[in-house]
Amino acid sequence: MTETKTVDIPVQNGDEDRYQLKLGPQHPATHGVLRVDLDLDGETIVECDPKVGYLHRGFEKLAEHRTFAQNIVLTDRLDYIAAMSNNVGYCEAVEKLLAIEVPERAKFLRVMVCEMSRISSHLLWLATHALDIGAMTVFLYCFREREVLLELFAELCGARLTTTYTRLGGVRQDVTHSIMAKLDQFVEKFPSCIEEYETMIDTNRIWLKRTIGIGQLSAEKAVDLCLTGASLRGSGVDYDVRKHMPYAAYDKMEFEVPVGETGDTYARYRCRMEELRQSNYILRQCIDMMPPGPIVGNDAPDLVMPIKPGKQLEVDVHAGNALFNLIEDRNVFMEGDIYVATEVPKGELGFYFISDGLGRPYRMHIRSPSFLHIGALGTMGKGVMVADLIAIIGTLDVVLGECDR
Amino acid sequence: MKVQYKPKRNLLETIFQVEILQGMALTLRKLFSPAITRQYPQEKPPMYPGFRGQHALVRDSLTNESKCVACMRCATVCPSRCIKISYHEDESHKRFVDSYTIEALRCVFCGFCVEVCPVGAITMTEVFEYATYNRDTTYFDKDLLLENWDRFMAGSGHDKTYVNPFWRPRGIPESSLPAQRRMNVPDDWTVEKQFVGKKATSSQQCLTATTAGGSH
Repeated sequence: MTETKTVDIPVQNGDEDRYQLKLGPQHPATHGVLRVDLDLDGETIVECDPKVGYLHRGFEKLAEHRTFAQNIVLTDRLDYIAAMSNNVGYCEAVEKLLAIEVPERAKFLRVMVCEMSRISSHLLWLATHALDIGAMTVFLYCFREREVLLELFAELCGARLTTTYTRLGGVRQDVTHSIMAKLDQFVEKFPSCIEEYETMIDTNRIWLKRTIGIGQLSAEKAVDLCLTGASLRGSGVDYDVRKHMPYAAYDKMEFEVPVGETGDTYARYRCRMEELRQSNYILRQCIDMMPPGPIVGNDAPDLVMPIKPGKQLEVDVHAGNALFNLIEDRNVFMEGDIYVATEVPKGELGFYFISDGLGRPYRMHIRSPSFLHIGALGTMGKGVMVADLIAIIGTLDVVLGECDR
Repeated sequence: MKVQYKPKRNLLETIFQVEILQGMALTLRKLFSPAITRQYPQEKPPMYPGFRGQHALVRDSLTNESKCVACMRCATVCPSRCIKISYHEDESHKRFVDSYTIEALRCVFCGFCVEVCPVGAITMTEVFEYATYNRDTTYFDKDLLLENWDRFMAGSGHDKTYVNPFWRPRGIPESSLPAQRRMNVPDDWTVEKQFVGKKATSSQQCLTATTAGGSH
């Protein structure tokens, strides 16, 4: 017979009253594969430690082995509920790096799909946030409208979620009259839908109890935590990349940036609801002001053989590997580095590139808002109840695909 | 712009739970509106031309064979590198495809291969229900890809005039496309008949679509 051994399991922090809880990564309220390690004292959180990386696919490394044009498909899978915004953000950055002109119509189309994806993302946020807090009906109503937008994406570019709609120097497909008629119908109808959501939860006493004063952040604290997007604007900081550093056709659009005051979950909720209205208004302007013209610029690089705009390369058509060799050529593309930020539904999405002229990024860094928002969770989750932590995860609007990339 | 809050409820509203009654009234109203749920397996979702579904190689009605000329553009552009082509050349440098394989499980369905094909040989069909118990059947070789095309043409109701929007992208002028992809398309796919907003400024109208470009 073997001798039985007893093992002492050391209690961390030396406090035996504390209870350790691993929330996630399979918990539905964590919006994906987020794990939060909690130290509980009763039901109050003493330590809150978010753990990320369960969805890490190494996009930044993968991008180094693909051409700039091929990397567009990787950006679909960052924030997969608003893929269009990522496509646009990526292309805006690469075009600035490579000095590619985008025609006017493509800029308007980009703004249009950006705002469509903003609405669909905010609808999914509202749906899941309300579901976490306990409002089931709003979830169903939100998905009703989101479905309309996803069908439109399918008609526009052939896929509902992994859109790959933009290309360097423009967009891949023009809109049809039928798409614009459907979008026009949607824009007409949508404000009444927002009112429906607000009827359900805006003054509901359970909703107010669960959101007012929860996850409160002062403006200074929110800036310190690198929050962006509606999570920052809820605290009263007026910062929107669309307004302050306009890209695409946003400088021609009329819209306002909703800013909250109190910085709690309810203020952020109100901000996003106002943003839905503003996005709808931008969509209306896009439909009315859509200019005629080409959708791809003259100097847009070819998909297969991206070369520097204006540069002609002699190709031996009979050489089997000519296409590969061309991309290997040095100085095919511009050299240098650049950081370009765009406003995606979650916040500020930035792309940082270092290009060594090979036609593919030497280094691509993604400043994803969700990653920094999860970083704020550790501070915001301290001293609250477990149930409030769920509300805080919801109000930060995180997508783990973008966080872990 | 500061966000506006709704006014706080007063005592009467608190006692009679007005906001809850309003919510219940809304859901009750919705009870009588038509259902929006789609009974999926019985009722298929609407499909639009250009949906990026199962791959297929177009069967040329004249030769009864694939149109592929082994130019390797699709294999080069593929971001997930799931297309494998082997070919041989005769003395006049004419290429013959020996094998053409697509690993559907590695494909990311971006449609770049369809977009760059100079002869419109490859396409992505509107078929999306091809889940299988067997991994091997998702390695499409040339025969399977041609079969996919036959099945798509038989099942979708398209005739020989079928044009995939990625062969002839909407809004791209014909002059920048290879000859075999200048197909007859509906009016609003062309640059001339494109959608224009009601309030598009007159200075923009002057920029006619003839200046369109883009190296395709």
